[in-house]
Amino acid sequence: MNLSVSSSPHITSSLTVRRIMLRVMIALTPVIIVAVCLFGFYVLIMLGVSVGVAVLSEYLFNKITNRPQSTGDCSAVVSGAIFALNLPVTAPLYLVVVGSAFAIVIVKMLFGGIGKNFANPAATARIFVTLAWASAMSAFVQPVDYSGGFSAFFSTMQYALNGAGVEAVTSATPLADNSISTLNLFFGNHAGSLGEVCALAILSGGIFLLATRTIDFKIPLVTLASFSLFTLILCGADKILPSLLSGAILFGAFFMATDYSSSPNSNVAIVIYSVGIGFLSVIIRVYGNYPEGVSFSILLMNILSPLLDLLIIPRAFGKRREVTK
Amino acid sequence: MIFRFRGGIHPKTNKLTHDSHTVAFPLPEKLFIPLSQHIGKPAFPCVNAGDIVKKGSLIGIADGDFSANVYSSACGTVENIVTMPLSNGNACKHVVIKVNGNDEYTKLEPLVNPDAHRIIERIKEAGIVGMGGATFPTHIKLAPKNPVDTLIINGAECEPYITCDYRVIIEHIEDFIGGILIEAETLNVKRILIGIERINAEAVKVLRAATADIPEISVAALPVKYPQGSEKQLIYALTKRVVPQGKLPSDVGVAVSNVQTAYAIKRAVSYGEPLIERVVTISGDIDDDKRGNYIIPTGVTVKDIADYVSANNYKKIISGGPMMGFALSNMSVAVTKGSSAILFFNENKLLSKPSPCINCARCARACPLRLMPMYIDAYASAGELDKALKYGAMDCFECGSCAYVCPAKRPLVQAIRLAKKTIKEKKQ
Repeated sequence: MNLSVSSSPHITSSLTVRRIMLRVMIALTPVIIVAVCLFGFYVLIMLGVSVGVAVLSEYLFNKITNRPQSTGDCSAVVSGAIFALNLPVTAPLYLVVVGSAFAIVIVKMLFGGIGKNFANPAATARIFVTLAWASAMSAFVQPVDYSGGFSAFFSTMQYALNGAGVEAVTSATPLADNSISTLNLFFGNHAGSLGEVCALAILSGGIFLLATRTIDFKIPLVTLASFSLFTLILCGADKILPSLLSGAILFGAFFMATDYSSSPNSNVAIVIYSVGIGFLSVIIRVYGNYPEGVSFSILLMNILSPLLDLLIIPRAFGKRREVTK
Repeated sequence: MIFRFRGGIHPKTNKLTHDSHTVAFPLPEKLFIPLSQHIGKPAFPCVNAGDIVKKGSLIGIADGDFSANVYSSACGTVENIVTMPLSNGNACKHVVIKVNGNDEYTKLEPLVNPDAHRIIERIKEAGIVGMGGATFPTHIKLAPKNPVDTLIINGAECEPYITCDYRVIIEHIEDFIGGILIEAETLNVKRILIGIERINAEAVKVLRAATADIPEISVAALPVKYPQGSEKQLIYALTKRVVPQGKLPSDVGVAVSNVQTAYAIKRAVSYGEPLIERVVTISGDIDDDKRGNYIIPTGVTVKDIADYVSANNYKKIISGGPMMGFALSNMSVAVTKGSSAILFFNENKLLSKPSPCINCARCARACPLRLMPMYIDAYASAGELDKALKYGAMDCFECGSCAYVCPAKRPLVQAIRLAKKTIKEKKQ
């Protein structure tokens, strides 16, 4: 009789990395559905290409560098999808391809793959493509107008190849335009990046992530609280709700700031990190040259988070405060 | 008032033997009684091959104060004294007794109204040790160096599968309470708190009814959460007192006792019965009608139990609970005073390979000590033991919550255990 022997514990939870990634994909589903409805068929192509390139580049990277395959954990699928949702519908396909490959190869794999990247792949890739293709990334269009029939669903396909030729249709985002009603902001009926327009969809996905305890509630909670507080201080109370509902702050707080590997791990560090994201987002929006600063804020705090974890080691239960001699 | 300790996990409780009344386990042909069933020095054998012993005959004498007597749990002939492994892998001397089927029980003299000194003497005489698994000699625990004002009875039984303490409470309620009162009298405490997980609400009900006119005793229904039964977490949950790292419960004025220990004390003091048997939960992937809570004499081997419950095709046998128990490599391991369960599994539930850490911090959230297991694991694996130490590697009490929750299935507590061992060895 051969008995297997191991060191305790002899049971583990059924949760796996793949299942966590699946949960994030489930949480993204309402956001994706709304994006496809609002911005047409081309959104599906963008998502498909972004996810495909992300998975393929992780696969090829492992192949070329002779590392064990890691695509099975589905984290590249999540990164690819989140990156695509960060783009406006006017982003041409080559931008999607380059950005998605950048997110995976440069930001994630070069630093050691899942869990090792210090920066959020999607946020960093968004910044990269914003700097590289400024006009395509700042060309926002109104959602598809279905009054002329369903064929409008395919109208956004025109942006697939020539993203640059869209300046004529550029529309203001709520960040520059105060005339959009709060209700439209909440339901997503305005110009903006694919994943960021509909607060309702983001919140339902976010609540799913919180309910399944996939993400730490402190990150979105403190980020949004800090964002609201600094908006109140710098812009006044009437700006809080429109600011929260527009731009990338909601999507960033639930889906990007919560990225495991680029956020800190101890409670105090998490609070500092989240307050920082909220604060920097407001500062960039109010004083910066860019209309939107959530990705910058996330990236900056990402960079700080290993330091926070190094400096703040929680005091263990029953451990006395160390007396400095 | 119950205070929630930090962290913890919620594994499937699997209390399959919750309603199984305790039954006597049939005596095998031979008993292998270990002389080290406790923390401290092994008992010194006081019998020789060929000696005839009775149930209740002393066969091992405590070697000094930090040790415990060992009695024969059946009548028979001493065959020889052999060195064999215990469930934790350490080897010790075992007295092999060929059972002859007689049922003569030589008991100690029952005590009537003994004083504290006499009680402690009797507890030492009867070889009573903590029966929750740590097997700390009880006569030392009941004579703490610091004054104690609270006695806590640990009935949390937070490990999955295990139900033996629960059965003892509801089946032997009077002797159990009697044992608690003896302990309280010895310690001269006026406050007794019994902590029981809500999953055992029946025991809470029975105990509350039985202790209604004993104002010193209060029964707390605790949340079902592992490791609720960890001594320091339980003390916090019931009294909000924090036992400092490296200190004992008595340093915060608390003594903690296990359910079956209290029961054994009552039997030793009032009926003169030495500690020669205990209730053990037999469970896991075996037939429904074979699972149960058995009264097993010490020295019965796992092989005897496997034969009796006809556990076939098992791949893994665990002595104790699935969270902190020992996986056995050897069927000749015997039941001791500290064996709470023997679990048979027909598959190794840990076959999934570990993948890289995704830094999700679930381990840090699950740690009842507020440690960050992912960093201890990372630094220890990289050989940076000083950093592992800085992150509190030595404070870990190895509850295993981190390894349980890890979605990447990393052997976190195992890595910490190894780091602790290496650090200790380097210090020497």
